Amino acid sequence: MDAMSNLLMGFGDILTPFNIAIIFAAGLIGTVVGALPGLGPSAGIALMLPLTFGMPEASGLCLLTGVYMGTMYGGRITSILINAPGDAPAIITAYDGYPMMQQGRGAMALGISAFSSFIGGLFGLLVLIFLAPIIASYAIYLGAPEYFLLMATGLATVMLLAGKHLAKALLVTCFGVLVSSFGSDYVSGQIRFAFVPELIEGIDFVAIIIGLYGLGEVFYNLEKKVKLNLGKPGFRMREFIPGRSELGEAAAPTLRGSVLGTLIGIVPGAGATVATFLDYALEKRLSKKPETFGKGAIAGLAGPEATNNAAVPGSLIPLITLGIPGSGGTAIMLGALIMFGMRPGPLLMTTSGDIVWAMIAGLVLANVFLLLSNVLLIPVFVNLLRTVQGNLSNVVIALCVVGAFSLSYSPFNIWIMLIFGVVGYLMKKNDYPTGPFILAVVLAPLAENYFRQSIMMGQGSAGIFLDRPISLTILIIMALIVGLSVVGRLRPKRRALAAAEEGE
Amino acid sequence: MTFLSKAAGLAAIGISVVGLQAAAQDFPERPLEFVAGYGPGGGHDTMLRTMARLMEENDLSPVPINVVNKEGGSSAVAMGYLNAREGDPHYLMSITSSHIATPLTSNIGLDYSSFTPIARIGIDPELLVVNSTKGYESLDDLEAEDRMLNVGGTATGSIEHIVTMQLADETGMELNFIPFQGDGEVVTALLSNQIDFAITNPGPVADYLDSGKFNALAISTEERVESLPDVPTFIEQGADIKISLFRGLTAAPGISEEDRQALTDMVTKLFETEAWREEYIEPNAVVPLVVTGEEFADYLGETEAAYRETLGKLDMLSN
Repeated sequence: MDAMSNLLMGFGDILTPFNIAIIFAAGLIGTVVGALPGLGPSAGIALMLPLTFGMPEASGLCLLTGVYMGTMYGGRITSILINAPGDAPAIITAYDGYPMMQQGRGAMALGISAFSSFIGGLFGLLVLIFLAPIIASYAIYLGAPEYFLLMATGLATVMLLAGKHLAKALLVTCFGVLVSSFGSDYVSGQIRFAFVPELIEGIDFVAIIIGLYGLGEVFYNLEKKVKLNLGKPGFRMREFIPGRSELGEAAAPTLRGSVLGTLIGIVPGAGATVATFLDYALEKRLSKKPETFGKGAIAGLAGPEATNNAAVPGSLIPLITLGIPGSGGTAIMLGALIMFGMRPGPLLMTTSGDIVWAMIAGLVLANVFLLLSNVLLIPVFVNLLRTVQGNLSNVVIALCVVGAFSLSYSPFNIWIMLIFGVVGYLMKKNDYPTGPFILAVVLAPLAENYFRQSIMMGQGSAGIFLDRPISLTILIIMALIVGLSVVGRLRPKRRALAAAEEGE
Repeated sequence: MTFLSKAAGLAAIGISVVGLQAAAQDFPERPLEFVAGYGPGGGHDTMLRTMARLMEENDLSPVPINVVNKEGGSSAVAMGYLNAREGDPHYLMSITSSHIATPLTSNIGLDYSSFTPIARIGIDPELLVVNSTKGYESLDDLEAEDRMLNVGGTATGSIEHIVTMQLADETGMELNFIPFQGDGEVVTALLSNQIDFAITNPGPVADYLDSGKFNALAISTEERVESLPDVPTFIEQGADIKISLFRGLTAAPGISEEDRQALTDMVTKLFETEAWREEYIEPNAVVPLVVTGEEFADYLGETEAAYRETLGKLDMLSN
């Protein structure tokens, strides 16, 4: 196979002490950056960009992609340990990871998620290596109508995240749509609610996430005087290396998450985020014990974690085959490619194939390093948390403030974070689910813009959703799912039991 | 909400607390600061970082250079930041069309004349690009379609949109402009024939033009450009369109004439180097048409007038 020999050549290029050291360092830096709330892949890659000047191209790109992959591993750490997701794709990780932490199984949650991350990343890389050109040639036929339907499907998972009170969930969804509508709207060109210049580009949803989850949790815990159950200090392997039963429970969700993440990660914008939410919904549907979701279900942790790591190679596919960035992180990498004097586009693999293959080989190596370092570092993270647990609130607040500041290096986002910290506290205290809110904040503007773009492409007619084969297929599948679930509800028997547990 | 209005006051109006300092004879007396109004990795940021690196490598700056990102508000935040440095020549900010458009569409209390324009680095012409599989060879072929055509470009009120509106006026074609978010989405839409043609800068489509997947039918410059000698201008084909995206540099308001000259000399020396051509101009497909000083200020004035007219038609002016 051509790809195989190219890959081996790539390995030949990067297996020098300097490059191995770079890749190892990149993974560690990415893990730390991703673990800090607010600093996600975009910030990590941007921070490393100046360091790559003067490096050979392959080493520089390995550094950037290694950091990208590392942030996805790192994002889960603060989600699980302190319920403060660093970036949107890590939100769902907190749903079952943080409850595991509260039950004293935090180390195990970190262990399981490290393995799922590895498998997800590996799967995505295999697809990238062998199928990238084929996938890219189909991916270009996806356009605004398909993206809109995908975002709508993502928003529909609100129903699954709703918890006990559907009305409350719908209310916070509307609130999320309102919050997301701030700022300039590139479709109409109008600027909405920009009371200060910082709002021209809207409210940064990462500041909202940090406030809502990180700070909101601190306020709530301070009031309830919650004490984390951190167990006894320990460094025993079996506390954090998943055993046969855990792996058995995590295996199928991890594989499903890997496939979903690679495919949906290609979608520009919120690909990785939508993929994690869809995967969570899927796992909850397929699970034999859906009632454990949100209370520390291994499947609910492993699936989405595999998804967000698989999305990294997924988002690289359009970048290296077409020169089109699919995420904030790859947009910065596009800038880096240009600065290295390469020309991203359909000819990149022809003109700079050796460098791209070296970068891919570097990613494979980074993924292995990341698994090892993340598993070995678990006792460090857990015991670090234990040493600061008396002052945990202060530490979390400090991390949240630094994270919010770093979004645009200005105090503005600290205010946003504080406002949503109070909002998060009030929501939690009054039992309003936060998931539907944040999902609306992230997806509503995309859904809105893609819908209007679709109608414009149809020159005013909504028929475009039916004219395009892919969007028609998605519509039919959606209709089938809705139809089947209605039929399922009508049938009594075993469904009644599940419905009783899920509903009232 | 007092803190919000306070933040607004500081950022937008830019109270001049720094005051007049830095006497001319000892400029530069400390490191220079290059201000990017957008985040790391974007067009502004990569341009300034390339400039900083090449200026240090070629000993064009006697002092070190730091690049800072003051992102937010479609460059409004950076404008507020630089405006507050009145009289201090140690700052250079990269500007493009948002420097003109943002003050028109939102009320930030500043515009291009609140600064000291230094130099236009070059222009990014707009190309009319079609997918080669459609077989269009000229503007006439598009007109011959005789139906409403879908046009892709970035954002309503962008320079791509202005070109589209002018083209419709000039040729009588029925054009349906569809705003996309970013060049990547425009390229994808054209690749899969979701739009009939795109208005775009050469950079994002250069590779597609070389490989023959796309075909450029017109360019928005007054004369053909060196890098794309086979692409005819709109004017040649009877449509009077000559508007391009510019890339330039501006400095803080109220700096002395000597300092302005020193900054201008420093950057024009860089623009004459081979390294600048090889590492910035060519990879980014920029047409290097440098103008400096008052001539650049006049150019900004003309550009603002063109924007004001089109944005007025779109009802997008803030006042």
